[in-house]
Amino acid sequence: MNKYLYDGTPEGLVSAIGAILESGDDPEKTVLGIRQDTLFEEGLFLRTDSAAAEALFQRLRERAPDAVQALWYFTMAETSELETSLLRYIALAFEHGDRVNGYLTHPDVKAVVAIARKASRELHRMKGLLRFEQLRDGTWLARMEPDHNVIQPLARHFSRRLRAQEWFIYDARRHSAAHWDGRALSFGTLEQFSRPELSPEEQQVQQLWQTFFKTIAIPERKNPRLQQSNMPAKYWKYLTEKQGE
Amino acid sequence: MELQEKITILSGAARYDASCASSGSSREGSACGVGNTSQGGICHSWSDDGRCVSLLKILLSNDCRYDCAYCVNRSSNPVPRASFTAREVVDLTMDFYRRNYIEGLFLSSAVNVSPDHTMEEMVRVAEMLRNEERFGGYIHLKIIPGSSPELIRRAGLAADRISVNIELPSSESLQRLAPQKKKEAILAPMKLIGAEAGVSLVERRKSRNAPRFAPAGQSTQMIIGASPETDLQILQLSQGLYRKMNLKRVYYSAFVPVNDDNRLPVLSAPPLLREHRLYQADWLLRFYGFSPEEILSDDAPNLDESFDPKTAWALRHPEFFPVEINRASYATLLRVPGIGVVSAKRIIAARRFAPVTHEGMKKIGVVMKRAKYFITCSGRPFEKIDQQPARLRQRLLLGDGSEQKQPRQLVLPGLFA
Repeated sequence: MNKYLYDGTPEGLVSAIGAILESGDDPEKTVLGIRQDTLFEEGLFLRTDSAAAEALFQRLRERAPDAVQALWYFTMAETSELETSLLRYIALAFEHGDRVNGYLTHPDVKAVVAIARKASRELHRMKGLLRFEQLRDGTWLARMEPDHNVIQPLARHFSRRLRAQEWFIYDARRHSAAHWDGRALSFGTLEQFSRPELSPEEQQVQQLWQTFFKTIAIPERKNPRLQQSNMPAKYWKYLTEKQGE
Repeated sequence: MELQEKITILSGAARYDASCASSGSSREGSACGVGNTSQGGICHSWSDDGRCVSLLKILLSNDCRYDCAYCVNRSSNPVPRASFTAREVVDLTMDFYRRNYIEGLFLSSAVNVSPDHTMEEMVRVAEMLRNEERFGGYIHLKIIPGSSPELIRRAGLAADRISVNIELPSSESLQRLAPQKKKEAILAPMKLIGAEAGVSLVERRKSRNAPRFAPAGQSTQMIIGASPETDLQILQLSQGLYRKMNLKRVYYSAFVPVNDDNRLPVLSAPPLLREHRLYQADWLLRFYGFSPEEILSDDAPNLDESFDPKTAWALRHPEFFPVEINRASYATLLRVPGIGVVSAKRIIAARRFAPVTHEGMKKIGVVMKRAKYFITCSGRPFEKIDQQPARLRQRLLLGDGSEQKQPRQLVLPGLFA
């Protein structure tokens, strides 16, 4: 078994995979992990090479665009366990093209596709569950703490949908933020965050929504278990309709 | 009247409408406007009954001149009445949309002065949203039976989806429970909508700028369990609506007794399991190539409560099984209990690489608990299969071990897509 190590960054991961694929080693007989710098650690460290990472992306985009999509979702999961599976998945993607995503009976393909699917599901979910509040200066703020790092594609979704208003999305788990000024998107981090004051009419609209939410349920069909399986409690913290329950 | 109070009355009155779909339309918003639609639809919340909330589902008014036995808004009911102005609905929609509470608006209404009077006001709401607010989100308008073709055309041009409620599964029941409504007044707009949508498709093939007519199609809804029709009759009606009227969706709504009326059955609870089974059977019609007569017959005209309709069919057709997973066609795979549209496609994709084993079936996401009795993988059965229908029924019901079958959580596939 060949053993390789990388520095733990997403870019390092992709560039390490590129280097291994070029080395001619059989990916099925190779493992890849993060360098821990312990005394007895085995394996060859592969230095991060941005150009090599970019080149691998380009080649994969031509050969298997759907696999690039899966890779993109995979990085949103911010997992540091499945590097070896990802290596083998990408090797198979070069061999078979986009058909690779159908090879679910292969354990490494299954692992990567499952993670990517989970990330894409949460992205879709957040498109519905994100709540904007109007601030005193007329701009809008939405806060969230998703499991996956979905802020970039999420912000792009809202830049098409709510393009006439200036807004911020804040990921409180990662202290990252997106800003739409009506024309362009920008991303950054916020170490210190406190919610600014809300606009005078915000409270009223929130109450209207809470009233609507309460009355739209059919009392004879009450089913809190189904509600929670569709909308897990971890998302309630920022849901207007779940405040004050 | 305060806005709060109006919302309480008019969303409470709208909650029995089943549809909340926001799918089937994809519109890019205009540069200066607000909102777009997404092909797959987006759920924004789930209410206390577990149903998805995607649209601001509300009545323009609950002040009704009709006296339909099953309806909470019927004229003889002593409930508080309220009406919105068009402006109020428009503002509410925009306020909610900007906060990402909703995908758009689902507007329905009781009928007071006349069908045209109500329809005109509803169309005005949709047109104000599109023209004044440049609203690009989803709009679903209910069509009031008896309104003029011109208003229906305007509704179809402003909305993504329009729907006419068929209300009950037969004209006799309609006659008995909603005597002021006429079958012809319901079917005529359905036909008109189907024709207009067809014309729009042809026009749009010639020019991309031709107007869209209800791009997310038309749907309808009927109440289940308030009248004596069998499930077979209901499924045949649905099949006819899908085939002849080109409907996108038929919604089934379990009868919730909200009125005392001696024309109505007395139920201890709404027939939710029956509603669930009908949705499953409806799926078999639309995506699995089943006909109503395969699912049910005159001798057994109602769906089995213990088994989903596909498992029930499989139990009646032992000669069809076992199905060989590595050779069977897509259509054949779809007939296996536990294999859905997604897993059938995945099986076909995976077996191009290597034969699929029992272990592989689990990876693919097949519900092996049900499928294992009906398949072989490369000639191998999962275990020695006892094909005696009576035995099979029992094992499917009770599972393999001594574990008790958990009561099923009811889900409503009908509320999304």
